[in-house]
Amino acid sequence: MSLSSDPLSVRELFSVADKTVVLTGASGFLGRTFVKALLTNGARVVALGRSERLLREGEDWARDFGSNKISIHRVDMYNIGELAAVLDRIVAEEDSIDALVNNAHELGPGTGFNVQEGALETATLDVWMRNLTGGVYWAALTTQKVGAKMKQQRSGSIINISTMYALVAPRPQLYAGTNFINPAGYSASKAALLSFTRYVASFWGSFGIRANAILPGPFSNTEDVGGANAVQEDDPFLSRLKSYTCIGRIGKPSELAGALLFLASDASSFMTGQAITIDGGWTAV
Amino acid sequence: MTQPKPNRAAELFDLKGRVAIVTGGAGLLGYHHGAILASAGANVVLLDLATADPELRALQLTREFGSDNIGIVGDITLESSIQQARDQILRKFGRIDILINNAANNPKVESGNMAWSRFENFPLEVWDADIRVGLTGAFLCSRVFGNEMVKRNAGVILNVASDLAVIAPDQRLYRVDGLPEDKQPVKPVTYSVVKTALLGLTRYLATYWADFNVRVNAISPGGVFNGQPEVFLSRLRELIPLKRMANRDEYQGAILFLCSDASSYMTGTNLIIDGGRSCL
Repeated sequence: MSLSSDPLSVRELFSVADKTVVLTGASGFLGRTFVKALLTNGARVVALGRSERLLREGEDWARDFGSNKISIHRVDMYNIGELAAVLDRIVAEEDSIDALVNNAHELGPGTGFNVQEGALETATLDVWMRNLTGGVYWAALTTQKVGAKMKQQRSGSIINISTMYALVAPRPQLYAGTNFINPAGYSASKAALLSFTRYVASFWGSFGIRANAILPGPFSNTEDVGGANAVQEDDPFLSRLKSYTCIGRIGKPSELAGALLFLASDASSFMTGQAITIDGGWTAV
Repeated sequence: MTQPKPNRAAELFDLKGRVAIVTGGAGLLGYHHGAILASAGANVVLLDLATADPELRALQLTREFGSDNIGIVGDITLESSIQQARDQILRKFGRIDILINNAANNPKVESGNMAWSRFENFPLEVWDADIRVGLTGAFLCSRVFGNEMVKRNAGVILNVASDLAVIAPDQRLYRVDGLPEDKQPVKPVTYSVVKTALLGLTRYLATYWADFNVRVNAISPGGVFNGQPEVFLSRLRELIPLKRMANRDEYQGAILFLCSDASSYMTGTNLIIDGGRSCL
């Protein structure tokens, strides 16, 4: 005799079918895998992104999964007024919003990646503010806007994509002799996002809203060849990076999908204010 | 507004009239833990096995710092031996204020020839022995000596954990060129297990005896330089932002802080002092 009638089959427990998920940074290296993972499992995705690529991806997604499953909003999130207006429109248009994935972050010269303006000694106010805006304020604004609807619904799951660098510092020897720079503002803003995650979990738990974070380790972008934050497959930097993991390789974006589906679904219904680190063992040693 | 007294710094760290027990007190680090407590005015009890000669080490302490210190030969895996030590301390000093659970088995893996330490081969007798010294010993000492603190409504227990209580060992540090995989030395599993368990004991006792004003904290030191081979040192330096191992006297500040009234509002915490290793 079963003690409870709650669903225990994997398909039901982890189901995101017919859930509506708002996701930022949808055309990025990790974002587009997140979108596909959600669509493949039957969710409707409201995708925000900045690049032109999002429009092309959006057409493909609509063709593959049905135009009712995807809604595309191209927006420059640094334009806060425009972002607020887009979020207001989404909140008004969608019947319900079950999950919010704060995934967007600018990984390029504007936030100090691989340019002197990102280095500890020379980082500019502009680089710092762009990191803090993208790293934590975007999530604060989406949480305000989408969260208001979740409070009315008395349910919702907020998933913030942070980084293992919210827990540990980058290793200087990784960057020695290379042109790569991982800016201090990135670590600081993503640690702030982790703290913000706990804050939301604490204040909105009584409304049935959960907030958790995913902390990815090394997931270098080897796909977007020539892109601002892309790394060549044979770059010696990559072999250094791999050597700091226990598993001896960098992660594939699909290796974050399991955690995303776990957090977006009812499989994690008693989990809030926590972080899942997925780093091949980087932070374990 | 209250103004701090001019001599407040000295007062905060002063241990005059207090009795402090250091288990493993005649060893490499234990002696230095005892030395800083003695220099702050405590009467120090070095508790250790006969082979470590705690009586001689206590004489050294007295010669160096002037305070009255004793060495007691005892086995912390036997409750009766700890009780005898307690009685001897109470006869001599009449009180027990501070306990540092420092004793642990810690074989020198970095000198190689440790194939037995591999997880697959790890002898059950060694597992049992390591846990008896590092964990059961801390449990028994906390109970026997801690009870004296409870009676007087004051005391401090400090558990010496390790950076390996918060991170896993990086076994690549210990590799020896030319040895087959199944002969490569590794840091023993018991070290991680015992040191991590001490953090659990720390938190447990912190709440358990909070009403009796017994504070319980842990310190997590990184490795201490003791003439390890250069190949090991050069690998380890890469993992430590300060680019070196600790000197043997470099934990004395933290030990005194945690054992004195300077930390009077601290309990249940773990102070990590590892050159930054665990922040990477």
